[in-house]
Amino acid sequence: MEARNVLMLSGKEARESVKNRWFVLYTVSFSALAVLILSIAPERGALSGGAGYGRTAASLVNLVLLFVPLISLITGATGIAGERENGTLQYLLSHPVTKAEVFAGKFIGIFIPICLSISLGFGLAGVGVALRGGSGDGAGFLLTALFSALLAASLLSVGLLVSVYSRKAARATGVAVFLWLLFIILGDLGIMGTAAAMELGIRQVFVLALLNPAEVFKIASVLVLSPRYEILGPVGVYAVRTFGRDGIVLLLISIMALWTLAPFALALASFSKFRREES
Amino acid sequence: MIGIKNVTKNFGKLRAVDSVSLAAGKGEALALLGTNGAGKSTLIKCILGLLDFTGEVIVNGISVKADPRAAKSLIGYLPQEPVFYDMRASDIMRFFGRIRRAGPDECAAALEKAGLTEHLHKYASELSGGMRQRLSFAIALLSSPKFLILDEPTSNLDAGGRAEFLRLIKEYKEAGNTVIFSSHRLDEVDYLADRAVVMRNGRVVFDGEPGNLGRASGLGTKIVLRIADADVARAEEALARAGIGAHSRNGGGLLVEAPGGDAVRPIIELTARDIPVLGFIVEEPTMENILEGVGESILEGAGRDGS
Repeated sequence: MEARNVLMLSGKEARESVKNRWFVLYTVSFSALAVLILSIAPERGALSGGAGYGRTAASLVNLVLLFVPLISLITGATGIAGERENGTLQYLLSHPVTKAEVFAGKFIGIFIPICLSISLGFGLAGVGVALRGGSGDGAGFLLTALFSALLAASLLSVGLLVSVYSRKAARATGVAVFLWLLFIILGDLGIMGTAAAMELGIRQVFVLALLNPAEVFKIASVLVLSPRYEILGPVGVYAVRTFGRDGIVLLLISIMALWTLAPFALALASFSKFRREES
Repeated sequence: MIGIKNVTKNFGKLRAVDSVSLAAGKGEALALLGTNGAGKSTLIKCILGLLDFTGEVIVNGISVKADPRAAKSLIGYLPQEPVFYDMRASDIMRFFGRIRRAGPDECAAALEKAGLTEHLHKYASELSGGMRQRLSFAIALLSSPKFLILDEPTSNLDAGGRAEFLRLIKEYKEAGNTVIFSSHRLDEVDYLADRAVVMRNGRVVFDGEPGNLGRASGLGTKIVLRIADADVARAEEALARAGIGAHSRNGGGLLVEAPGGDAVRPIIELTARDIPVLGFIVEEPTMENILEGVGESILEGAGRDGS
């Protein structure tokens, strides 16, 4: 793999992502809602005294959970399938570039604009907190932004995996929306339902939660934003007591990294293997 | 040189390319002919390493399977229906220029050669089919590849554009480069090709000089002679006596087979016997006729040989 080609391809991809109207809509909505959250927050009292950044970040977590997985899954899912469908992928591959370079360029070229979008939302909110005299847990605020980027990376990898196996962009989008529903909307309900139906113990429920990158993000964010891990319920208490506060955060970061690397590696291997798809 | 050895490509149960072996040397233009579904485009995609296949494709000593990047860097490719990212033509050119390691001057020269300098500001979606083909040709010329592979290169061009395009390709070939192109047009094959390869059902059924295509197909030039109704029987008899096959047509006159492609001899034979020829039309076999005929004649021959 040549780094030069990956950079070139990711640059092209990033420029295309930024021009994509869905991406623009997402960025504007995310940033506008981030500012809205800040503006409807109570004046000074609530934003100062140690809770300013923390409380804003906690509000942003819910926003991230809605927006970041959706845009990551959809742009990832249409990334390869769309190009395959319209023929640009085959034309690109007729030139001296490898599939691995195209794939890596695609990942980086989509990931960077999503990160910029997250940074814009968090940045506007952060500046707003500072202007209103807020203070507090700046590190937790930054860590939540970092977790948001990790969540984007993991679901982008999942989206690209869907894309590699999809012939049509429309079908890939459908699968991406289904996964979004599964991870975000049905995630909590699924865990609760499964736990109740199968009478799972706390340990099993914790493991079940780790299977959903959105849950992992949520737990990690709450742990770095709130001194009271009890708000995560018995599962949170079990996790912190078992692994320690720093240990569980590290474990959650590792799981998000694994959620990024495993689908990425599988998608890359499949993409390199499936030559018939390009015919 | 491009060497293709026993290349076979299956799509499920369909064998799209069946044990094809070919070679195209320096300065040679090879025309790939065949009806739709004959396997031409699939073979081209195998040469470019876009499809997995069994067999071997060697480009200037480099195996497409072992080192596709190095092999592809030697090939300029023009697809049948060029599709681009929706960027301005100048940006598309710059992007592929970087991939092919061609500088801005080389990009500008290729665009000028393809006659696209005035359309650089246009987005790909605003370019006509012909302009997209020209842009793809300009990209194919970047970094001066030794091999050009063109899949029906003139299918979207008007008559003027086609002539200019063919001239550029010929110029490229005459500079010592190798051209492999697929086409449905006999005039293009006559103008460009040193060798014609006819494919049928994924197999090569003819590999030889384009001039021999008509003979291999068993089809020759025919002449429609306009002769007064009263003279038709006499003319038919005179031509038969001269060993020239002819038969009367429903619409009047005679349909005559030109002996050895000589369209004038039947007319000379008739005028020598005082049979007035009121008019004539020369009918060359169409590409479709030839392709079907070539396949049949060779396959029949193969059957007789027991092979």
